[in-house]
Amino acid sequence: MNMHSSDASTAEEAIAAQEALPPLTNEEATQVAMSNTLLTPRFYTTDFDEMDAIDVTPVRGEWDKLIAQMKSDPNKGHFKKNEDWDKVDWDGMEPALKAEFIDFLISSCTAEFSGCVLYKEMKRRGSNEDITTLFQLMARDEARHAGFINDALREAGIAVNLGFLTQAKKYTYFRPKFIYYATYLSEKIGYARYITIYRHLEKHPEHRFHPIFKWFCEWCNDEFSHGEAFALLLKTDPKLTETWVNRMWIKFFLTAVFSTMWVRDHQRPEFHKALGVDPEWYGQEVFRKTSDISRQVFPMVLDIDHPRWKPTLRRMEAANVQIAQGRKQGGFGGWLKRMTGSAKAGFAFVSLLTIPVEKSTVPASPRMEPAY
Amino acid sequence: MGLLFREKETAPCTVTISHRFEELSAHVRLDNGAIIHPGDTVQVQGPEIMAAFGEMIEEKRTAVITRASKLEQMWTRATGDLEFMELCEFSFSEEVMS
Repeated sequence: MNMHSSDASTAEEAIAAQEALPPLTNEEATQVAMSNTLLTPRFYTTDFDEMDAIDVTPVRGEWDKLIAQMKSDPNKGHFKKNEDWDKVDWDGMEPALKAEFIDFLISSCTAEFSGCVLYKEMKRRGSNEDITTLFQLMARDEARHAGFINDALREAGIAVNLGFLTQAKKYTYFRPKFIYYATYLSEKIGYARYITIYRHLEKHPEHRFHPIFKWFCEWCNDEFSHGEAFALLLKTDPKLTETWVNRMWIKFFLTAVFSTMWVRDHQRPEFHKALGVDPEWYGQEVFRKTSDISRQVFPMVLDIDHPRWKPTLRRMEAANVQIAQGRKQGGFGGWLKRMTGSAKAGFAFVSLLTIPVEKSTVPASPRMEPAY
Repeated sequence: MGLLFREKETAPCTVTISHRFEELSAHVRLDNGAIIHPGDTVQVQGPEIMAAFGEMIEEKRTAVITRASKLEQMWTRATGDLEFMELCEFSFSEEVMS
C-alpha cells in the first residue's frame, strides 16, 4: 500500500506520494471529468482602457493598507496538509453523497481556476499598476485554492484534465462595472458560504465528513479581502452605486446571485443532509450575512424576510427541476416541459425583482474585517 | 475586419501550466501582443498539453486567432453581459439531477 498524500507532512512529500500512485487516467475518472465538464473555464474580455482609467486616489489610504496586507500573504502557510487532514474513506461513502460531494469539489475547483484565469488576463492586459497588482495577488490566491481542491479530488481518484487549452476558446465580453458587481458579490457570498459551514461544523463536528471543511476558516478570509478590494473599487466612482440605472443593476445582480445559489444548493440534497444543514436555513443564513456585509457599498439590501421571498424561490427551484426533467426526457414532450419550466422560472425571477428593497446608508469608509 | 466575414491570423504564444499542489493554473499568452476582441476565438495548435501532477511546464506554440466579424463583435458586446452568472463561483457546475 502506497503512502497517501494525505499522510504527507509537506507539499513535496504529498507530491511524491501522489506520483507513486497508479496513474489516475482510468476510464471512470475521465468519465466523471467529462460528465462534469471539468476545468472548462470561460474566457472574458472587457474594456481594458476603462479599467486602466480607474483612479484609487479617493480611497488611497485604505487601498494601500489592503494591498500591503494581501502582499504579506497571511495565508501562505495555510494550504498545507497537516495532521488535521484526516483519512477520507471514499469507498465507504454513500454513492449519492460521494457524487454530490465530488460535484461540489469540481465546481469549486473550476470556479477558483476560472477566477485565476480572469484575474491573470486582467493583470496582463492592464497598465494601471494599482489594478494590475491587485489582480496579480488575487490570481495567486485562486491558483492556490484550486491546487488544494485539486489534491482533494486526486484522493478521490479524479484527475483534472487541462485539455481545454488546445481547444478553441471564444472570448465573451463584460463591461467592467458588471465584473465589479459580479465578482464583489461572488467573493462576499463565497466568504459567507464558507464561514457558515465552518461555524456550523464547529458546533457539530460529527457532521464533518471530509477534512477540507477544517480549512474553510482561513480560506474564506482570502475571499473576504478580495471582496474588500472590489468594495474599494466601487467606491472610487460614486456613479457605480448611486445612479438610478446602476441601483437597478445592483438589485438585479443581488437577486440573480441569491436565487441561483438557492437553486443550485437544492440540487445537492445528500451533501447538505450529510453536513446536517437544511438548505433553506443555509441559504437564508448566507443571504443575511452577505446582505449585512454588502451594506458597506450597496445602497440597498434585498428583503429576504418578505412573505413572497421564500415561496417564490421554492417555485423557481421546482421550475428548475421541471427543466431538468424535460431535458432528460427529450423529444417534443421534453421540449415542451423545458419551455414551460423556463417560463415559470422567468416569472418567479421577475416576481422576486418586484419585492421592494430595504434602503441602506452607505458608510463613508467601506472597509470591514471578517467578523462571523 | 469584415462586417460579415471572419478572418484568421496566427500568433506565437506561450502556454504555461502549473499542475502542482501549491498552484493549479493554466494560461496562454500571445507573444506578439495581439489583442483579443469580443467574439474572437483563440485556438492553440498542436497536441494536447498535459502536465503531470507536480509539474510546471511552459511551451511555445502557435495560436490561431479567428477574428469575429464586425457584426459578431457587436453582438457579443451587446449580449456578453447576460452571461455574467458564470463569474459567480457556485454556478459553474452542471446539475447533479440523476
